[in-house]
Amino acid sequence: MRSKWYFVFSALVLVSMILAACAPAATTVAPVPTTAPAATIAPKATDAAPKATDAAPKATEATKATAAPTKSAAPAAPVAAKDSVRINIITFPDNLDPQQASFVAELAHLKLVYEGLTRLDKDLKTVPAAAEKWTYNADATEITFAIRKGLMYSDGSLLNAKRFEYSILRNIDPTTAGEYARITDDIAGAADWGTADLKKATPEELTKLKAAIKIQALDAAGAPCKDYTQADCLTLKIGFGQSAPYFHTVASLWVTYPVKEEIIKTGTDTAKWWLSPKNHIGNGPMVWQTLEEKQKSVFIPSTTYWRGTAKVNIEYRYIVDGAVAYAAYKNNEFDVITLGAEDLKVTKVDPTLSKEIQNYPGSCTFAVMFHQQKEPFTDPKVRAAFAYALDRDGWVKDVLHGLGSATLTWIPKGFPGYDATEARWGFDAAKAKQALADSTYKTADKLPPIKLTFSDSPRNRTRYEWLAAKWKEVLGVSVQLNPVESTAYTALTKNVATAPQVFILGWCADYPDPQNWLSVYWKTGGFGQRIAYANPALDKVIVQGDTATDATKRMDYYAQAQKLLTDGVPVAFMWNSVNVYLVKPAVKGLVLTPQDADFPGSSDPLTISIQK
Amino acid sequence: MIKYIIRRLLWLIPVVLVVSAITFILMHSTPGGPWDRDPSSRQVDASTQAVLNDYYGLDKPLWRQFVGYVIGDTNSKGVFTCGLVCLNLGPSYRRRGVPVQDILFKPPEDQSILNSKFGFSIKLGLLALTMSILFGIPVGVISALNQNTWIDYISLFFVTIGNAIPGFVLAIFLIIIFGSTLHWLPIVPDNWDGLPVWIMPSVVLGFGTMARTARLTRASMLEVMRMDYIRTARAKGLAERVIIYRHMIKNALIPTITFLGPALAGLVTGSFIIETMFGFPGVGREFVSSISNRDYSLIMGTTLLYAVLVALANLSVDVIYVFLDPRIRLSD
Repeated sequence: MRSKWYFVFSALVLVSMILAACAPAATTVAPVPTTAPAATIAPKATDAAPKATDAAPKATEATKATAAPTKSAAPAAPVAAKDSVRINIITFPDNLDPQQASFVAELAHLKLVYEGLTRLDKDLKTVPAAAEKWTYNADATEITFAIRKGLMYSDGSLLNAKRFEYSILRNIDPTTAGEYARITDDIAGAADWGTADLKKATPEELTKLKAAIKIQALDAAGAPCKDYTQADCLTLKIGFGQSAPYFHTVASLWVTYPVKEEIIKTGTDTAKWWLSPKNHIGNGPMVWQTLEEKQKSVFIPSTTYWRGTAKVNIEYRYIVDGAVAYAAYKNNEFDVITLGAEDLKVTKVDPTLSKEIQNYPGSCTFAVMFHQQKEPFTDPKVRAAFAYALDRDGWVKDVLHGLGSATLTWIPKGFPGYDATEARWGFDAAKAKQALADSTYKTADKLPPIKLTFSDSPRNRTRYEWLAAKWKEVLGVSVQLNPVESTAYTALTKNVATAPQVFILGWCADYPDPQNWLSVYWKTGGFGQRIAYANPALDKVIVQGDTATDATKRMDYYAQAQKLLTDGVPVAFMWNSVNVYLVKPAVKGLVLTPQDADFPGSSDPLTISIQK
Repeated sequence: MIKYIIRRLLWLIPVVLVVSAITFILMHSTPGGPWDRDPSSRQVDASTQAVLNDYYGLDKPLWRQFVGYVIGDTNSKGVFTCGLVCLNLGPSYRRRGVPVQDILFKPPEDQSILNSKFGFSIKLGLLALTMSILFGIPVGVISALNQNTWIDYISLFFVTIGNAIPGFVLAIFLIIIFGSTLHWLPIVPDNWDGLPVWIMPSVVLGFGTMARTARLTRASMLEVMRMDYIRTARAKGLAERVIIYRHMIKNALIPTITFLGPALAGLVTGSFIIETMFGFPGVGREFVSSISNRDYSLIMGTTLLYAVLVALANLSVDVIYVFLDPRIRLSD
């Protein structure tokens, strides 16, 4: 019997040791083209397009995808740079399909590998990318992108306008069911096809709806492009349902990234094409070399990117715990980490680490949302009282520990349309009390019970206790805290019927144009409808801004719209997010923009270098 | 015994059905759904939501969704997909279209199942269990044999610490000591090759189990030491070594084994804390994140995995009893 026990123990020890030692090897994707580059010829030879389009996916498709790239000069195979920038990107992405992705961590991966028609520069201005220029017609109901000649994917295959046409159509396609499908609804016909009832519509009706969409890739003669091998297919024409003078900025988004149709449609399960990094043949500055789930992603410089070759590799890690990432940074295992509120205080007093803090404006605005149909916030004076009683500077200092900046406006500083003159509804205890006295309720004890609802977490409990205490101190109002589980909170706040009386919500810019801040959110039927906000006067001005072709006039309309929005104090603007990172001194050349929610300098990896 | 094992394995079927029914009811009665994402970002629009609901069958009555999950169902295009009976755990909601069985059990390309998420968790769990047994049982035995001596007090001190210190606190301590200060171990391993990188996660995972094992063993040993048959053995003049090894430890281990069975299931299904702190690619994080993401099929998959493992662990414990105590017989 004793020998049996020895056996059991020995087996356990041995098995666990052996298993632990069975280490996983990285899913290394050889950074070689899907088609041998040696077989490719220069892309400028427009007549050299191979006739063999044997990989055309489906005869029913208008497009003819080909596995063989247009003959192009053999590009140098991507080679890993000497140095790597090791970044803790925190969250492992759930979806890496450009037409389905939506979260910051997902986009952080895609933006290294792909590039849209346009891109944003350091000042958040829209500048040429895959498209070297664009022109609107007189009333901005049509945009024409001129794609750069000789653009290549990282495997050396040709990238023409037809690829962008496919990707944009794929984003609209209701079967793609992308979370940002509606963002291209300015395109004429997009909303009709994108929102078609797939259960009721016949295949013929769906084909007709697709055909009605005003997007077309054209060749040098102005004829529709035939396939992806056509080197002179360099024009992409897009028509809108109404004027959309901001669309060139929308064209910088990930939904336009030119994925390869033949890769998506090859294989047994097209829904999972994005899982493997080798399927992400992109046109961006980096090539995805390896992906180890929940452990590491490595990107190396692409040699075919039109702006040049990056100087460093980018390495992502996925450490969720801020304290561990902080310790690893101090241990020189990371070059860049996000700095949490808990560590910011300690870091600021550390003589070495304090010099490595990068703290600059972010892209989100948070506000106290008052439900316009739930008492007592039906009364504008009550809303005003609560807005005046909001000590935003105290919130930023005591609650956020500096991870934010107080604001009185909707569009944050650094974004086009920011209103630096707005000063209404700032913290003023006397005005707060007066506003309450002027309300229909007159005094705090006459107010109905008020519940402040929030997404439950230990950190949020402290934050909201502070807020309730402040309102109690200034107005004498007893606000009851109502913590709700995070997903349930999101569900509650999405619907006007279930949205709480008062809660805090934010908006993070999809793209830096006032249209995204005002039209998408505050126009009747937009996201503001969750608090039953509808203002016809505001709608009118917003539409004028959305459709004005003169840039100065557009900004004037949006400035008016912001004033109108703030007039009735439907919400109390509270704070803007900030991007706070720790960056090793050796990491140089970071181009910082408010849109860097992933890592500092993500807008332009080309400029990043390591100087030891 | 074979018949007994087969019968217990067959009992797994109703167990799995009941667990899946309870889980299904609970998760669908929780507010919020898989399309409720970050409230400060663009939300999935109604028409896209309708397409997704159709794809996942969420537009069907709940009873049909459950039957569809267990047996299978036809989609709107008339294509039948077999369900749990075919070991299909359904597609993940968050990782669009990826089957849950792939998320949990599929290794990276050209690698063995030991490098799947479940494989990683199994490896870590077994390492933690081995550590718990190798340290916990001897500490408990030595402590009991030296009751109320300084040896007992010291071991009791460590056992109490092991029971009291939460995993995330211990993890931070180890990281600061062995990672930041001594630089003996990497905080964020470059890969999981070799034994050293496994030390910190397995110690953190197994420390609590080790402490509980030691405490249980000590208590059980103290009880056995006072039994009549031990006194009889001593009276017969048996050597103390023989009494301890053959009579005391063997009998004292029965409660410990009872505890270690379900503990093993807990250890091999991973730990959210360990995986969050060490970036460990196991299944533990899926357990927790699937709930907040309302990833219904992943919630079902992870819960069923846990249920099956607990059932198998309990079966193993019952079988081990036979080896420990000759009086115990498994009835066919």
